[in-house]
Order: sequence, then structure tokens, then C-alpha cells
Amino acid sequence: MKKLKNIFIVSVYLFIVSAFAIKQKETILDFSLKNTDGKMVSLANYKEAKGFIIVFTCNHCPFAKLYPPRLNALNSKYDSLGVPLIAISSTDTMMYEEDTYPKMIAKATDEQFNFPYLFDELQSVAKNFKAQKTPHAFIIWKENEKWVIKYNGAIDDNGMEPEKVTEHYVANAVDALLANKKITIPETKSIGCQIAFRK
Amino acid sequence: MNKIVCIILVVLSFSNNTKAQSIQIVKFNELKQRVFIHSDTTYVVNFFASWCKPCLDEMPTFIEFIDSTKNTKIKVLFISMDSKNELDKNLKKVVEKYNLPPIYLLDEPNGNNWINDIDKKWIGAIPATLIVKKGRKKHFITSTITYQNLINLTE
Repeated sequence: MKKLKNIFIVSVYLFIVSAFAIKQKETILDFSLKNTDGKMVSLANYKEAKGFIIVFTCNHCPFAKLYPPRLNALNSKYDSLGVPLIAISSTDTMMYEEDTYPKMIAKATDEQFNFPYLFDELQSVAKNFKAQKTPHAFIIWKENEKWVIKYNGAIDDNGMEPEKVTEHYVANAVDALLANKKITIPETKSIGCQIAFRK
Repeated sequence: MNKIVCIILVVLSFSNNTKAQSIQIVKFNELKQRVFIHSDTTYVVNFFASWCKPCLDEMPTFIEFIDSTKNTKIKVLFISMDSKNELDKNLKKVVEKYNLPPIYLLDEPNGNNWINDIDKKWIGAIPATLIVKKGRKKHFITSTITYQNLINLTE
């Protein structure tokens, strides 16, 4: 009986906690990071932007390597609609030589990135977003002059085989936001490479 | 002389065969049925990939743990996140290098279909390790694991 009571208390507690978590809007702070062209980029630079697709990615991760063409396509489509894509690399370069700034420049050139590829050397932007892996996508939207996280997760439902993608999570969420509709899937999970934070 | 060469070839091809069989492709439901059953066995389920450096860094720890728990009811299962299409390229090399026991390759291209079933807080970064006792999840660790962690968590 006591056990039942405990279970009941725990469930009520969990219910309150989760309800609270849903209600709370997660906002992120603007940042200033160096792009592969040497220039500094901030969200504030984009006066017309309604929102952004922010993708934490990197050079070394095989899952991240699968996405550049899809990121180019997303930016081609949504930049002109006021939702540009920004890629950020926050991987510890002490751990992965492949993710150093010069190699980021090479990657952006080789794969003809049509979006900024920013170097988060201090990993502070990843911490701000609570990004934990690559690739890890977020959609942020401007609300009352603040950037609110609207989507968090995978870019789509099939990293390995782009031709077999059926759910375009990021694109669907941006479409919903642009149409002033509710995002049907605001959070997804996918396998990726851990962003190891330096202590 | 020819006979010896022949025997060597036969032995070699046989050992190659057993290596090839040591990677089994599974769906998430099959994995679930294998792990979440009520039994005396404690399962230590390690999610890794051949391309994941921190995962490979902790392989020796797991191997040491497997050796030291040989005569107990603890079983370590390695679950690879590699693509089944590229299994030949790197995963087999990893299996050989660390002399891994038979491993499973999870054939689930959409992580969103199963990651929450393992742990709601898991975002999908690997390595990650799940410990199941008597068919119930006991621990889930997404940071690097030490030998002592493994001993303590399976006690």
C-alpha cells in the first residue's frame, strides 16, 4: 500500500515537472563567431530574419558528413523566406584535428557551402543551445525580440540514405512556423557524434 | 607440402567465416526482446560505432570487464550504429582489433523511432551504455564509462 502511495506521489511530481518543462520557453542568446571567410557572424546581422535553422555539425563525424548537400538545399529554399541556415562547429579540436579552423575552411570550399560555417572555439554557443551531438539541428524564431527554440533534433528521418527520407523534420517545422501553424513534431532524436565539452 | 597448404587454406577460410558471422543485423524490437526479459542475467548494452572515437577508446575497458566477469551472470552486448551497407569497411576491423564477442548491428535508420524507448533524456549521442537487471532498466550512462563504474553499476 505504501508502495502504491509512493508511486502516486512520484507520478504527480513527474506530471508537474513535465508540465512545467513544456510551458517554459527556451530562449537563446545572440553570439558572435568567426565564419570560414574570416568574418564575424551574429544573429543581429540578419535584420530581416524571422528565424534561423541552426545546425551543429563538424568535419569528422560520419553522420554529419552525410548532410552538406541537404543543408545547402535547406538554405537555398529558406534563406529567401527569411529563415537562413547557419552551421556551427563546436567539436573539441584537441580531440579531432579534422575539426580545426583551417580544415573547416577547406570543407566549406570543397562542399560549396552556401551558408556560414562558424567556429565555436570556446564551445559556448553549443552550451547555450544545449547541443550535444553532430548533426544536431535547432530552429529558433523571433518572438518579442527574443530568440525562442521551436524545434530541436534531427534534420530528417534517414541520415544514411537521403533517397529514403520520408519525414523532413526541419523543413516541415519551418513550413509550419512560416504558415503560423503549430509544429507537429517539435522534437526528434537521432544518432550522432557526441560534442565532448572541455572541462 | 600441398596438403599442408590445403589445410591452412581450409582453416583460414573457416576462421574468416566465423568472423563474418559475428555481426548480426537486428531490428530494435528484436533487441528489446533479447534484453528486456525477466532473467537472472544482467545485461550491459553498449551503443557504439566503428567511426566513434570515444566509443573505441572505452573498448579496452569493456573487454577487461568481460574478462573479469566471465563466470558471473553478467553479459555485455555491443550494439553497433554503423550502416549495414558499410559493415565490411570498418566495423569488421574493429571487431577483429578488439576481439569483440558476437555483436549486433542495429538496423534502424530513424533514431526517432527507438531512442526514446531506451531513455527519454538520451539525445542520441554515442557512446551510451544501458544496464538492465532482471528485465528492467537500472542505469543509463552517456558519458565515458570506467571499469569501476561498470563493476559498481552491475553489482
